[in-house]
Amino acid sequence: MVQSKKQKYLFLAFCLLPTFIMFAIFTLYPLFSGLYYSFFDWSGSAENKEFIGIDNYIHLFNDAIIADTIIHDYFLVVTKVIGIMILAMFFAVALTQLKIKEAPFYRIIFFFPNIMSVVVIGILWTFIYNPSMGFINSGLEFLGLESWAKPWLGDEKWALPSLVLPSIWAGIGLFMLMLMGGIANVSKSYYEAAEIDGANEWQQFWKVTLPLVWPQIKISVLYIVITTLNGSFIIVQIMTGGGPNNSTHVMGSYLYQQAFKQYNFGYGATIGVMILILSLITVLILQFFMRRDKVEY
Amino acid sequence: MKRSVGQILGRTGIRIPLILWTIAVLYPIFWMFIGSFKSNAEIYKNPWGFPETWNFQNFVDAWTNYNIDTSVFNSLIVTVVGAVLTLVLAIPTAYAIERLNFRGSKFLFTLYVSAMMIPMVLGWIPLFFLLSDLGLLDNIFGLAIVYAVSQLPFSIFVLTSFISTIPKSLEESAAMDGMSPYRVLWKIITPLSMSGIITVTIMNAIQFWNEYFMALIFLQSEDNYTLALAIDFISNEAEYTNAWGTLFAGLVIAIVPVIVLYAIFQQRIAKGMTEGAIKG
Repeated sequence: MVQSKKQKYLFLAFCLLPTFIMFAIFTLYPLFSGLYYSFFDWSGSAENKEFIGIDNYIHLFNDAIIADTIIHDYFLVVTKVIGIMILAMFFAVALTQLKIKEAPFYRIIFFFPNIMSVVVIGILWTFIYNPSMGFINSGLEFLGLESWAKPWLGDEKWALPSLVLPSIWAGIGLFMLMLMGGIANVSKSYYEAAEIDGANEWQQFWKVTLPLVWPQIKISVLYIVITTLNGSFIIVQIMTGGGPNNSTHVMGSYLYQQAFKQYNFGYGATIGVMILILSLITVLILQFFMRRDKVEY
Repeated sequence: MKRSVGQILGRTGIRIPLILWTIAVLYPIFWMFIGSFKSNAEIYKNPWGFPETWNFQNFVDAWTNYNIDTSVFNSLIVTVVGAVLTLVLAIPTAYAIERLNFRGSKFLFTLYVSAMMIPMVLGWIPLFFLLSDLGLLDNIFGLAIVYAVSQLPFSIFVLTSFISTIPKSLEESAAMDGMSPYRVLWKIITPLSMSGIITVTIMNAIQFWNEYFMALIFLQSEDNYTLALAIDFISNEAEYTNAWGTLFAGLVIAIVPVIVLYAIFQQRIAKGMTEGAIKG
């Protein structure tokens, strides 16, 4: 290598610095100054920025809507984890273990909603739930269950649960593929051994598949939890905007409303800090409970 | 014999949920396409059936009366500029982290990758004022920069793993021949990691084309709306205008490029996304 030290450092700087400067300006700086703004009462203009210490945090604890948004977020987390994991696991096992000829066809179809825009998904499902034209209510009518029909997204009790289905619909494919990857790595000989021992397919699933794909299950659950806590507000914003009567507000949509609709930027930043802290704590707790010694046979 | 009959029944039985889910996925999408060819009156009268006559009026309306032409153009610019900028920023860093031994390379990698897990919504408030100070608020190029930086962690992560598969001997012999490190990066590393670059670019392009919330916050005037915002706008107006057909036409325009990319690069996209998720 005929290269002086200086040239080497110059090249290193060429590779790293521009990228890092952009990352620092557009990712690191906003995160840290978000933390900083959370101690201010600030409506957006420079003159009206007042340091108020932890008043925003006190307000946060006394804001009745905040408690609701947290509950709504965790409701979505739990229902999505259960719904997605059960269906994704079922489809993953069916498409890998059961020698279905057209398995690639299902795989391709089931994954597609994962790359659809949330806007398209949200609007499509708003239509599916539409009280007069929607598919759900006409389906119920067709089955003779008119009494079950309701304005799903306009009903305080049903609006939040109604948001779960689109999220599951759009999410399953990715986790199905992750689990399929895990199952594909399980050696066939384990299943043959289990079969010789007289284990039926159901027992094989519990005793062989489940423990051996535990790493993939763990990653999938963590991923669903993180993406829900950090991003559930997008579909909320599109489908209900937090309504009716705040019954579907999640932390992120409330932040948007406080900061960008009502110009309480300091308080909005405080909500952002809360989202950050809650999602970090949740991930740590989950990692603790899902840790499991690596299974090897 | 008995067992094989049971198995055949079992195989048929297992197909029922698979077929039902296929319908659940495809039917709304089909119906969206069909709806885009119906008149508003027909959508009301018979929302879930086929149109009596197929007409393109909805597309014409969307294109001319609802400024979809401008927003398609804006989305294209944001997508292309964002995707190219991501590459320009990500490739050199991925190469340096993977191949150049320097102190702190592990730390830098961890810093980038852990940003995938941080809720960016906290940063959006300061980012809004930062863009405003830089004169990049309500500007599609400002949005493209924000997009590019937001996809850096994912792109650097995937590209480092691709670059690590290139044999070191190639760079070494090129350097022996007197090739400068800049040319090694441009002439050897970049072409050899093309597969990774394509994967990352497709993923980023789909992401930028689809993105909604940052566009909602950082763009304000209708002239700068991306497609996602324009559709959301039509959707919110449709409550009063009942322009459902136009709305469907907008949705179709938004989804067709994604379907085309998926049809061509299905395996790459699936692989790229699962790998991104596994580390994210």
